[in-house]
Parts: sequence; structure tokens; C-alpha cells
Amino acid sequence: MGAFILRRTGVMILTALCLTFVVFFLTNLFPNLEKLAKTQGNARMTDEEVVSWLDRNGYGGPLIVRYGEWLGLVPGWTREDEATGEITGRCIDFGMDPADAPTRCGLLQGDLGFSTVSDDEVGNIIGGRLLLTLKLMGWAFGVMVPAALLVGVLAGMREGSRLDRSLSTFSIASTATPEYVSGVIFIVLLASSTAGLSPLLAEWGWIEGRTLFLGSARSAMEDGITFWNFALPVTTIALYGMGYIARMTRASMAEVMTAQYIRTARLKGVSFRNIVLKHALRNALIAPFTVIMLQFPWLLTGVVIVETLFNYNGFGWTMVQAASNNDIELLLACSIVAVFVVLVTQLISDIGYVFLNPRIRIA
Amino acid sequence: MRDFTHTDGSTGLTTHPVAEMYAREHKAGQLDRREFLVRSTALGLSAAAAYSLIGVDAALADGHRSVPAAGGTLRIQQEVRALKDPRTYDWSQMANITRGFLEYLIQYNEDGSFEGVLLDSWEANEDATVYTLNLRQGVMWNNGDAFTAEDVAANFVGWCDSTVEGNSMATRMGGLVDPETGVAREGAIEVVDDHTVRVTYPEPDITLVPGIADYPSAVQHRDLIGTNPADHGVGTGAYQIADYEVGVSAQLVRNPDHTYWGDTYLDEIVFVDLGQDPAAWFAGAEAGEFDMTYETVGEFVDLFAAIGWEQSEVTTAATVVIRPNQNTAPYDDVRVRQAIHMAVDNQVCLDLGINGQGVTAENHHVCPIHPEYAELPPQTFDPAGAQALLEESGHADFEFELISIDDDYRKNTTDAVAAQLRDAGFNVTRTIIPGSTFWNDWTSYPFSSTNWNHRELGVQILNLAYRTGVPWNESGFSNAEFDELLTQANGIQDADARREVMVRLQQIMQEEGVTIQPYWRSLFRHYSPGIVNAGMHPKFEINVHYLGFSA
Repeated sequence: MGAFILRRTGVMILTALCLTFVVFFLTNLFPNLEKLAKTQGNARMTDEEVVSWLDRNGYGGPLIVRYGEWLGLVPGWTREDEATGEITGRCIDFGMDPADAPTRCGLLQGDLGFSTVSDDEVGNIIGGRLLLTLKLMGWAFGVMVPAALLVGVLAGMREGSRLDRSLSTFSIASTATPEYVSGVIFIVLLASSTAGLSPLLAEWGWIEGRTLFLGSARSAMEDGITFWNFALPVTTIALYGMGYIARMTRASMAEVMTAQYIRTARLKGVSFRNIVLKHALRNALIAPFTVIMLQFPWLLTGVVIVETLFNYNGFGWTMVQAASNNDIELLLACSIVAVFVVLVTQLISDIGYVFLNPRIRIA
Repeated sequence: MRDFTHTDGSTGLTTHPVAEMYAREHKAGQLDRREFLVRSTALGLSAAAAYSLIGVDAALADGHRSVPAAGGTLRIQQEVRALKDPRTYDWSQMANITRGFLEYLIQYNEDGSFEGVLLDSWEANEDATVYTLNLRQGVMWNNGDAFTAEDVAANFVGWCDSTVEGNSMATRMGGLVDPETGVAREGAIEVVDDHTVRVTYPEPDITLVPGIADYPSAVQHRDLIGTNPADHGVGTGAYQIADYEVGVSAQLVRNPDHTYWGDTYLDEIVFVDLGQDPAAWFAGAEAGEFDMTYETVGEFVDLFAAIGWEQSEVTTAATVVIRPNQNTAPYDDVRVRQAIHMAVDNQVCLDLGINGQGVTAENHHVCPIHPEYAELPPQTFDPAGAQALLEESGHADFEFELISIDDDYRKNTTDAVAAQLRDAGFNVTRTIIPGSTFWNDWTSYPFSSTNWNHRELGVQILNLAYRTGVPWNESGFSNAEFDELLTQANGIQDADARREVMVRLQQIMQEEGVTIQPYWRSLFRHYSPGIVNAGMHPKFEINVHYLGFSA
């Protein structure tokens, strides 16, 4: 087991290294650097000004050297201004004496770099944003997994019944509706004071505010999470993932229900309730477990849409901002986080599998 | 209270021979009040003096600010962008936030007049080559230093430094910049005494006042020129940044350790960034996340009005140009450009592009609200003639690629142009580029649309966008006669005399088919009832010192 985890960690580091290099390479293509210079300098700079800006801000050197700087293997760049004699550099912060600055400042030194779009250290930004996303994902999971398992088990215990058909239709519909569709529908129906249900409810005096729910989750960041500001984003994420897990659970449940030992139990006169809860459930949950763990990376892409739609400034939203402004070091940090999330959930899923299914062993 | 009755003790010129002439013209009905105010205050008259010349009580005139109650927190929906050296600001939004502590020498008011902020008064000599700037007394920096003529001179030197990348103030300084060295001309900026600065142009120039009222001209401390205000927070204004998270929000609170020279009302201002999608702004308004928009656009004007918010509208010289670049074939052929002109009806662009929220323009980028605007005979809309002219030029089979940014009104207007060109028989493809990459090559696209903000004088825009070889000349227009006449117009202080030259300049713009410039936009802002002095500004300015809740 120890060797397995160690090997997985090695794979994770290697993947992160490859992915960050790809991201680094793509964000450092000249048109992207030009975009960066223009967002940072002036949107209407001339070509000569762009080159001079890039050179002055340390984007001039060879790609591989700069990647090394970011990793912390190569000393950070420094540059002396010919006119003023002022020394600037990668590792020199505003107002810091150049002599005191460290020579290397990269990933190995624990420095994630500087986010150009936010004008702040990446380390300061990404933590808070991840926490916000964690809250959103936590709530979404909390709603999604129990609901999906319930729907799946109910549908799968009597295959082909009316209950099965209606629940299956519901789960297929929810999986087939992407977040950007369901989110918009929810906002129009439930969070607009001019369309949907809210104007009616307000007229009847059933709701105090203008709308039933808030179409923006921004207040959840500062004033705390409430049912009103979090219901829509959580439902939007949960609904999409739910249908898929429910379908998997149903299939697995239906298969288990046809197994010999279930028939034996029925012949022995065990009640249907006990068959489902005591005999079938555990075996039926093995397959959905992997699917649930796989939903984590999926959720990461889901939050990109939902956070942008509901104006919730978490990790997904940060990623969109970083990408649209070509914020190199913020994007690199985002990719490390993404690799970490994907591989750690995979690790958990593999280990969890062993506990659920004693026939499988990992060496 | 800071209104036009001078309770703040400012003096300023009480009269000027040319201003008196303008006053006579205004009374004779040849000049509307807005034009009169622009012209006379640009000469150095205080707004109160200008109003008194035409016999209007300033307190009752347009643009008069009311006095809000003290205290309160106001939340404004506006993008929060990373701050940088104010000279290189490229978004009014940056200046709106820093205006809480970095003030300006002069401000441009909604009614078209200029008013001193850090300047008490200013005068121009007869031929507009020498300007004397008199500083306001008793202004302090929030680091304890006194605000003096040294500060102003240092800022002028900084603004004139065209070697700084992206310093758009250098273009605004015009003749003060030495073309040889790229920095301020020797002796152009003199400190006369502690509170007086004299600025001398080599040739007449009338754009100094609007230039230093523009958003990148925030006045920094003399030792901090070229720095990012977010790093030090030194300024003369009443507020300080308490929190700044790019893309999320910015918070200004009253600076407790600083005595502000004027009056101010709010305790706290929060700028809430809800991205660039107006639908998200509206969702935010419905969720009660802010009290006032930065700008309301398109169909959302009606929506915000429908939920009971106050509406403020201002007609401006803000516009969109859909211009071919003459450095690219076939747009180097004047017949092609004229054919494009003849095929497009500006009224259609106005209706489809911005829901008719504006007035039609005449393809020469000089607006009726500019003092020197000259009325030209209407242009002909003739799709059949356009097709004939295009065939004559031999480019009938050319595939025109029309590029625009991926954003509401600019996209819609460009679509309207493309549709009309297709109706006239042109072969047109449309390309839409996302906002994040559009500006990379905005000056060199062969045929694309660009939005231009309001400017106070007609010559300013022509200088920025159509003079040979200037950085923002996106149409690749180069015409010796035009350049010469423009230089001439820049030196004529009297707008009527300048109009004589403008007639020809505007004609050249039309004859050469430089650009389609279909309409002038009206700008809208909405705010929840009870907020005062939040009216829309033609240049999107928000001065947080004036804002407040009604008493």
C-alpha cells in the first residue's frame, strides 16, 4: 500500500510538471505575451512599446530559462534601469532593497509567483478562492450524492416498474441539461423580478423581497451562506452530476437484484425492505463509488460555469479571469491545483475500492 | 458645499473679451448654453462668472450639485481593474476609484463647463500660447506635505514624458513635448511662485484645459510621479483604499488622519465588479448588491427603469467608428471607401446598433455639441450607386472581412453595417473577436469597428485619430492638406473662426470616406432612489466626494 501511494505521488508530480510546462509554453506564445503587455501596460500600446515592456518586465529571456525561474531552479531575473540605476527583478518586491532579495524565488521556494491581473501574490489569492469553491462544492456534493443514490436505488430495485421509468426519465433529463442551460432557466424562473414565479409570489405577498431566490451568489462570500443566495448555484451543479450517478447506481442495483443470493433471500422469505437495505445495497454501491470520485474533476469544470454565472468569485471564476487576461503564474497555480485534485480523488477512489470489494487488492 | 457660488473661496477670471463676445452670441441664439460654457470656462472664467455673463443664476442652472446628508455607504457597480501609473490609465474605471484620493487640476462637468479642483483659476493669453495656472490654497497631501506649484510642475514634466510606454498624457500635452527628445520642452513649464505655474506653448493650443481634465491626468505627489498609487496611497483627496481585490471589489473609506480641503459626505464607497456582462449587472441589482451602475447599456436601460431605479441620461460625443484601414488593399482606393459610405444608412445603424439611444452622425467624427461643429449638407444613401462605384473600382468580387469585438452594441452596429453592405451587393464576412484579444491589433485590422469616448473639442479627436502617423490612427489616414488645416485649427481659440477651417476638415473626412461614424451615443446610468449627484457624466467620471444620500 505504501509503495502504491508513493508511486501515485510520483506520477502526480510528473503530471504536474508536464502540464505546467504545456501551460507555460502556451501562455508564453508571443500573441499571448502581447495581450499581457497590453492589459498591463496600456490597451492601445504600439508594437515597439510592447517589446520594450516585455523586456523590462522579465518576459524577454528564453522560455526554458523562465520556466526554470518559475520552478525556482534558475536565479530570478534582475534588470538595471540605465537612466535611473534602479534595479528591478523577479524576486524584488516594491520598496525592497535589491541586496536583501533572494536569488531564487519559485515553486521550490514555496513562491507561486505574482498574479498580473490581480496585482497580488498568487499565494494570497488562490487560498481564499479555493476555500470559496470548496464551500460551494461541499454543498453541491452534500445535495447531489444522497439524492442521486436515493433515486438510483429506488429506480434499480424494481427494474422496469413505473417508478423506475419516471425516475430514469428525470435523471436522463438532468444529465442532458448542462449547467449553462439549467442555471439560466433557474434564474429566469426563480430569481427575476420581472419574469417567472417571483412577480406572482410578490404580488400575492408570499415573499418579502423582490425575488424568490437570489440570482447572484456574491452575498454568500461576505455575508455568509444562506438558503436564498446559495440554493440556485448548488442546485445547478448538483442536478447535472446527479442524473449520471443515479443512472450508474440504478444499473448496478438492477444487476445486483438479479443475482442468485438475492433470489435465495427472497425464497427464504426475507422482506423486500431488508433485501434492499441489508443484502443488495452494499454490493450495489461499489460501482457508483468510483463514479462519485470521478465527479470531483467534473465538478471543477462545472464550477467554472456556475461561478461565472452566479458571480461567485471562487476557483473556477479565478481560472476564467486568469485565462482571459493571460495571467501566466496564476494559470500555472490553477493547473497544479487541478492536477492535485484529480489525482488525489483517484487515489482515494482506488483505496476506497479495496475496502468496499475485498476481492481487489493493490500492491 | 461646492457649487458655482464660490463658497469655497475660488476666484478665477470674472470676464474676458472673447467670453463677452460668446455671451452676446448666446443671447442672440447663435450659441447654446452648453457650448457657451465650454468655450468661456476654457478661457479661464469660473462657471459662476460665465453664468452671470449670460444673466443666469448659477444656483438654478443645470449641473448644479445638491447637498447630500453626511454619512452612509454607497455601492457602485463598476469593474475593478489593477491600478498602475495614472498616466497610463486606459480605463475611466481606474480613475473613478483613485479619484477618492488622487484629484485633478480641473474637472469637466456634465453641463460642458470646466471647474477648478486643485486649481483655483486659470487664464489664457490672447492667442492661447501662455496659460497661467493658479493653485488652490491650503491643500495638503495626506502624508502631511503641502500641495505646491512644484507638485504641478513635476506632474506636467511626467505627463510630457513620451518615453514612458503607454503614457497617453504625452499626446494630450501636444506642443509641450519636444519632438527631438520626447520629453518636456525646455522652459515650457515654469514655477512662478508657490501657487502659480506658467505653461508656454511654442504655437497656439487650445487643448490644454480639456487635456488636464481627462482621467489619466490625476495629480500625484512630486516625488511619486510614475508610481502606482495603490502602492503608496498618497493623494490630496478625502478617502483611502481600505481593500482592493481586482475583479472582485474595491473599498474606499474616509481617511481619518487627513484634513480634506473641501466637503465630502459618504463614509464609505464600495466598487462592486460584476464582470462585463450586463445581464449579470441586472441580476446583481435584483439581488440588491449595489446602488448605482457605472453605465447602463442597450435593452437594460428599460429593464433598470422597470425595477424603479432613477435614470440619468447624457448625450455625448461618444461613438463607434467602422473604419477601413487605408494601408490595406483594396481600402487604399478612395472609390471603395466611398462605395462603403453610400451603402450604409446611419439611421439604420442607430436603430439596430443601440436601439435608437442617440442621434445620427455624419461620418466626420465632429459632434454637434462640439463648439466648432460645422453643419454640412446631408450625405446621400445610395446602395445602387455604391454597387456601381465598387464595380468601377474593380473590387466587386473582393471578400470584405468586417471585424468587431464580441460585445453588445459594437457587435450589433457592425452587424448592421455588414447587413447593409450585403444588401448593396458587397461580399461580406463577419469576424468577431473576444474582448480579451481584440485590442492586440485594433489599429491594424483591415476593416473593423472601434468605440471612441467623448472629447470636449472636435479638434481633439481629429488630432488623436486622423493625423498622419499618430499612434491611434487606426484608419491609416494620411492627408497633407488635412494635417495642415488641423494644425491651423488647433491655434484658433475662437470657435467661430475655427469653424471656418473645420468645414473643410469635415468635408475631407467625408470625401475621403475615412470612416463610417454612424451615431453619437447617449449614455445612461441608473441608481436607486435617494442617491444624489450620481448623474451620468459624458466621460463616465464618478467623483466620490460629491456623492451621497439625499438629506
